[in-house]
Amino acid sequence: MSVADLLTNLVPTPCIVADNVAMRYRVPSTEVPEDTRYPHMKFLRMLNPLPNTVTVHALNELSLVVNRGESVGVIGRNGSGKSTLMKLVSGQIRPTSGAIHASSTPIMLGVNAALVPELSGDQNVVLGCLAMGLTHAEIAERFDEIVEVSGLEKSIHLPMKSYSSGMGSRLRFAIAACANPEILLVDEALNTGDAQFAARSKRRMDELRSEAGCVLLVSHSLETIKDMTSRTVWLDKGDLIMDGPSKEVTKAYMKFTKELSKGNNITAANFRAEVQSSQANVSIVDISRQNTRSAG
Amino acid sequence: MTQTQENVVVPAAAKILPVNLSHLSRVGARPAFLDYLVQLWDFRSFIIYDARARVKSGTRRDKLGSAWLLLNPIFNGVTYFVIFGLLLGTGNGIPNFIGYLTIGIFMFQMTSGAITGGARSIQQNRALVQGFTFPRAALPLGVNIREAMVNVPMILAMLLLVLVIPPTEPITWRWLLIIPVLLLQFLFNLGVGMALARVISRVNDVSHLLPFALRALMYLSAIFFSYERFIQHPVLLSIMQANPMFIIIDITRDCLLYGVTPALQSWVVLTAWSLSALIIGSVYFWKGEESYVRG
Repeated sequence: MSVADLLTNLVPTPCIVADNVAMRYRVPSTEVPEDTRYPHMKFLRMLNPLPNTVTVHALNELSLVVNRGESVGVIGRNGSGKSTLMKLVSGQIRPTSGAIHASSTPIMLGVNAALVPELSGDQNVVLGCLAMGLTHAEIAERFDEIVEVSGLEKSIHLPMKSYSSGMGSRLRFAIAACANPEILLVDEALNTGDAQFAARSKRRMDELRSEAGCVLLVSHSLETIKDMTSRTVWLDKGDLIMDGPSKEVTKAYMKFTKELSKGNNITAANFRAEVQSSQANVSIVDISRQNTRSAG
Repeated sequence: MTQTQENVVVPAAAKILPVNLSHLSRVGARPAFLDYLVQLWDFRSFIIYDARARVKSGTRRDKLGSAWLLLNPIFNGVTYFVIFGLLLGTGNGIPNFIGYLTIGIFMFQMTSGAITGGARSIQQNRALVQGFTFPRAALPLGVNIREAMVNVPMILAMLLLVLVIPPTEPITWRWLLIIPVLLLQFLFNLGVGMALARVISRVNDVSHLLPFALRALMYLSAIFFSYERFIQHPVLLSIMQANPMFIIIDITRDCLLYGVTPALQSWVVLTAWSLSALIIGSVYFWKGEESYVRG
């Protein structure tokens, strides 16, 4: 036991541990199955309440450890599983297998944290803050700041269903940003809204980032990733391709997309396979419990 | 997923990464039941604010606003009085039929509103559930508290109607007994609503069946006829007398209209119903805590 204790003290305590998580969806498909055996049964098939479903592998088994003080960027093409990973870490969806462990409740800064449309903006502010665990005193303290960040001014007293989509997402951002989270997730949300809001939100983000324990940032802008993060994860079609220093990962990713845009699909696929195979598969071992789980 | 043969990935090496998970907790994990209750208590400001904000916004779309909360049961009462009392004569032999009907309709409406609201609370607040991490039982609990707040003026109106419409009844100490009745009714509604909320979050089809189930419950609760009609059918009679809704209405009528102290047996049966509904409903709801986030 003494050796184990020693080991426990040596290993840094991480903020986020994704232990072999995978996400699959079953969704209905409008594709009609070719069934020529019983053509006269077409009417019966129309009555079938369960449409043809297919399984989408949004994210394949993936293990990831983010330590305190780290800023990690997530890059990849559309549909690579970036947003799925963020939703999993924030707890918006539950993984089909594996588990996400976190040192505190992660807060997602994004446009999709919807609220109650019947209530007014200020009521939504209070409700959202209470749902994040703030007290009435803390909310009263930060209320003006939230309204200022959202830029809604007098409209804050109108029902949220009367808001334009830009106003709604600004308010959601302002509410999520008012907590000072230890774990901050940013899902490329901040290009909504006008230039004035962009500047305000960027300032608030920088403040949050400097205070947060760790940050996960999804972005399509490689410049943003290189500026703001030290480490980057490249996802493609649900697979983890590369995990390393931001400079190297963005360079490899750029090479990959350049080949794709030139139409060299085979070269790109080979390069992707080469990069992926040079990556070591990570197995998470929980030394506090002395039991091992290995990644596939 | 769509890789061709030559692209099959062979990982270079498996890297073992030791981490200390003792300070971490699984995201979205379901706590132990008692911890869950403590969490729920910590979120009491959220629950109460949610309930109060929605009371105000609930009827904002109607021109008459909150007046509908009262007009609704009154119109119901008038309809039932005309159809059952005057046309079908189901009220024959019931002393103070208007009072009898009023209490039945008001008390039933409170339960049906609370159960419907509680049952749909998860499904209707999917956005909140996905956006924030809080104990999900806050939603059905908030709905029930909101209904209870809305019901305060309704109960006062019910008492007023009993006092004003002839034959008027005198106020006795037994009027105070409706407080424990309302409390037991609240617990019963909460328990049933929580159990249904989990069922409906999984199988939405049940929400279509709910109005029929409530309608059947209404007919079994002797709202516009006397249970003595079934004195010849011992099976139906015993089903009816075990029905918690019937007991709630019966106790209320005894206290408010007939100046009779309700039998101890009714209290015992009602308490058993309420507590078992609450315990079964909340444990069943808590067991599904992790499943509510999935869209």
